[in-house]
Amino acid sequence: MNPSVLKRIASGDPAAVRDCIEQYGALVWSLARRLTRTPSDAEDATQEIFLDIWRSAGRFDASQGSDKVFIAMIARRRLIDRLRKTVAEPPADPLEALETVAWADPGTAAEVSLEAEQAARALAELKPEQRQVLELGLLHGLTQSEIAARLKLPLGTVKSFMRRGLIRIREYMNLEAEGVSARN
Amino acid sequence: MSETSAPEQPDEATMDLLVKRAIEGLSPAEQRALDVEDRAAVSAYLADFERAAAAAALAASAGAEAPPPALVARLERQGRELLAPNLLQLKAVPGATAAAPPAKSPGPAYGWFAAAACLLLAVFGWLRSPPPQAPAELAEAGRPPVTAIAPPAAPKAPTLQEARAALLARAGSLKLTWGATKDALAAGVAGDVVWDPETQQGFMRFVNLPTNDPHQHQYQLWIFDAARDKRYPVDGGVFDVPAGSTEVLVPIHAALPVSAARAFAVTVEKPGGVVVSAREHILVLAQAS
Repeated sequence: MNPSVLKRIASGDPAAVRDCIEQYGALVWSLARRLTRTPSDAEDATQEIFLDIWRSAGRFDASQGSDKVFIAMIARRRLIDRLRKTVAEPPADPLEALETVAWADPGTAAEVSLEAEQAARALAELKPEQRQVLELGLLHGLTQSEIAARLKLPLGTVKSFMRRGLIRIREYMNLEAEGVSARN
Repeated sequence: MSETSAPEQPDEATMDLLVKRAIEGLSPAEQRALDVEDRAAVSAYLADFERAAAAAALAASAGAEAPPPALVARLERQGRELLAPNLLQLKAVPGATAAAPPAKSPGPAYGWFAAAACLLLAVFGWLRSPPPQAPAELAEAGRPPVTAIAPPAAPKAPTLQEARAALLARAGSLKLTWGATKDALAAGVAGDVVWDPETQQGFMRFVNLPTNDPHQHQYQLWIFDAARDKRYPVDGGVFDVPAGSTEVLVPIHAALPVSAARAFAVTVEKPGGVVVSAREHILVLAQAS
């Protein structure tokens, strides 16, 4: 973890730009590739995400999580916004093209960040169908309705699986100060 | 299991909305439903769910490939331009003249109501024809000094005014005049936009654009590129007008390359800006002939 890059960006140090791209470029690019429909979309999305990073670096607070979680949150927000604007358009790529994307085991995820390891441990505890619902939503960008149709599950079940799964991850990340329980 | 409750846990339906927002986003109707809930609880739980979703995404990112070199080059250029002296943070320069009192910013409800009244006209004006009102040209005499929205300049860095003048002097640069819509916030707003297609740099100049509270709303520029789908103009950056400013200069930071700028528009958006404007609160437009 090296939050000093974000601090340097926030202080307006142009020399930090290359370091920032080297440090987070692969992460942002991988998220963009998963949640966009074409390579061209992914490139546009990556540029928009980095614009958000340049603007938002000053808001990074290490007490709220690692720099990589901060970057992933910025990226996901932007990608979700983009997905919503294209939701009415037919998908350009079949889902099968993304089938190789999956969760890492906790040991591998630990190489990315502590939070990634915690999330991987939480995910490993979920029932396979619950894990699959989260995988389709988080990694492949499918909507709850699309997941319900694909897995032939009631929409309410999909919602419940997602809620419990996210709460479980949240618990592993010790983010439960506000009292959310996985029993909900 | 911890059951502390500060803030109070939302009900199950709200929790479902929070989870959905963190994973796939909400429709406008769903977002409105969430907006009426307890703001503190919603913010706290949403932030945690977004962190959890981000961590789960990280757990699948080991061994991720680097972006293509050409994209990396564009990212570096974009970042350096944005972080260059004078162009990062938008603040009033010391000693900025506080001339005419800034217009009162209406609350969000008023803003959206007012926007609804002019929405159709503005959008049609945006897409089909010149703006409905010709802007009043700035009368140079008697104007207070320009407020440059930028941090104090480095000792030898050009000021925004100097950078704008240099851009204007470049062959091929555009200078378009803002036209105000009938939006209440746009009353009396004038100025221009300068854009250089080659360097992809530009500046907006506004006179009488009301001061905004960045915690309530921010201004956002949109650039319509003839080479792109007109439904999705390029994000030209989010900016604020500090208190005490009657004339401001704002550098443009296009999120994406603009091949052929044909129009510029400024909207009022939520803090931080948006990816796609609902175009419900358009203030000014500038169109190339």
